[in-house]
Amino acid sequence: MNSEHAIVTTDLVKRYGARRALDGFTLAVPTYAVLGLVGPNGAGKTTWMMSVAGFLRATSGTINLLGNGPFDAAVHRGRISILPQDSELPLESRPLELLAHYGLLQGLTRREAERSAQAMLTEVHLGDRLNSPIRTLSHGMRKRVMIAQCFIGYPEVVLLDEPLSGLDPREVARMRDFLARRRGRQTIVISSHNLHDIELICDHVAFVETGRAVRVATLEEVVGTGSTLVYALTALPEDTAKVAEAAPDLSLSWTDDPCGLVCRYDPRQTTPAEVNALILPALLAQSGVVRVAQGSDLETEYLEGRVLKRDPRA
Amino acid sequence: MTELGQIWRVACYEWFDALRSRRALVVLLLYMAAAVCNMHWSINLLHKLENELVTVLQLPPSEHAGVVSTTLWKSKPFQRMMKQMTQNDLVLQDITGKHPVELIYAWFAFFYTPLLVVLVAGSRIAEDLGSGAVRYMIFRISRSSWTLGKFIGQALMIGFALVLSSLGAYAVAKYRLAGSGTPDLFLNMVQWSVRAWIFSFPYLGLAMGLSLLTKSASKATVMGIIAITVCFVVSILLHHFTGDTGWRAYLPYLGLLVPDEHKMYMWRNSLAPLVTGTTYLIALGFCYLLTGYAFFRHRDT
Repeated sequence: MNSEHAIVTTDLVKRYGARRALDGFTLAVPTYAVLGLVGPNGAGKTTWMMSVAGFLRATSGTINLLGNGPFDAAVHRGRISILPQDSELPLESRPLELLAHYGLLQGLTRREAERSAQAMLTEVHLGDRLNSPIRTLSHGMRKRVMIAQCFIGYPEVVLLDEPLSGLDPREVARMRDFLARRRGRQTIVISSHNLHDIELICDHVAFVETGRAVRVATLEEVVGTGSTLVYALTALPEDTAKVAEAAPDLSLSWTDDPCGLVCRYDPRQTTPAEVNALILPALLAQSGVVRVAQGSDLETEYLEGRVLKRDPRA
Repeated sequence: MTELGQIWRVACYEWFDALRSRRALVVLLLYMAAAVCNMHWSINLLHKLENELVTVLQLPPSEHAGVVSTTLWKSKPFQRMMKQMTQNDLVLQDITGKHPVELIYAWFAFFYTPLLVVLVAGSRIAEDLGSGAVRYMIFRISRSSWTLGKFIGQALMIGFALVLSSLGAYAVAKYRLAGSGTPDLFLNMVQWSVRAWIFSFPYLGLAMGLSLLTKSASKATVMGIIAITVCFVVSILLHHFTGDTGWRAYLPYLGLLVPDEHKMYMWRNSLAPLVTGTTYLIALGFCYLLTGYAFFRHRDT
């Protein structure tokens, strides 16, 4: 992959009768990024993924996948994979033979396909169920087979629609690690309603509302990892003005549930240590500081609507 | 892997998967059981006719069942009756040289193959569309390769079912009818199953073409059953209304689209009509399939 963006969609429209599921969806996914799609139900995340994978025919707009235009099996075979939502695997098949079959179709040799299938199934902790019929697997196990099939043959682009839903907490943690390890090696797009997962796995986030991508940014930009310090407090100080006086050049905002202070600074002019040196004494004089964290969290930023306000296009 | 290689892979997997599918397996076994029972009952009927003939003609009873049937088969009155049934001198000429067991099996295979096709293959594509399993395939191979692979896989499945049924029918004939255990008869019955298999192509194309239109397996099966019924009725109407003048003269052209109208080619002995029939039937199968594919190609999955 030489191009800067693995997927570029421009003004993508998908209409179902009068309803527009995608309404000018413009998004460029940087190559080797792990991008999270965040948005309410019906915003168009799944429709966008299905359009990119060639399952849905867009009404208008353009798709450029890996610099070779819209999806074409002859061109993109083995270079893209998808975990579609609400799609069952063939129930009578066995995971190992099915994944090897998929690998062969992608252009792998039999040996490569079998090796890749076995490795992926072991990676998702199904090494002991390689030859069990899929109908005998639990929902979570089937989901893991579905995830494993996405990574057969190491495709350049992987689209995952709600990959972690239905998994038990231990598997969720393992899958998060597995996906996070793909950062910088494959281009991955993940659609999820669990913002905590997105935060742990992704390095980019796209916010989707009513069929459009309203903001695309790095996770760092969204949660302010390099420009925000968040202080968790035992109680709000009685005299907040005094704290503000201690750091007149910083932007401070107070939260009361839970009690805390969000301090934004310009990383080009100051460092977190310098900010702490100004703020902490003033805070400790009036209140207890439980924890200091770099940056906010995605869920707070999203629920309080700050992620969209900061974008001039929003 | 080339596109042809992909199609073959999908076909082999489809066949393998269809064999594992309980529904297909049950239908396949039922079909084989039906072939066996049909042979058994037909031989019972032959025996009964034989006994009646022996009684009427006051002949000494034969120790080997089937001897009188073979004589009867070659008699002129019986051949006149057959001529009326087939309404085709060439076909009559070809089939009167055959062993009755062959013809019993061939009649069964030709008559029930369309139903077997619809019940086994009619829902396979719709099932994958409904469950979403198709989505794991069509980013790996083209929709056309997938469709063609499924079609060939099901054709292999139907072929397998027909060969099995011919083996079952032969086994019954061998033990129940005198002079039926010859290797020649065995090979001829397998040959009839291959002819019936070729005759199944247009129905397979029709069933799978219809299956590409819907995401509901049961709906696809019902559509398939309706379609073969319509084909059957159209064939009867064509025979009834075809004439030499006016619009009736054009009806044989409509017959080109109906599989039953090409069936008689498959009953013939010489190569030329067999090749013609095979070409027509396979082409018709692909035409039906392509009509469904034209819709599937652009549909959202």
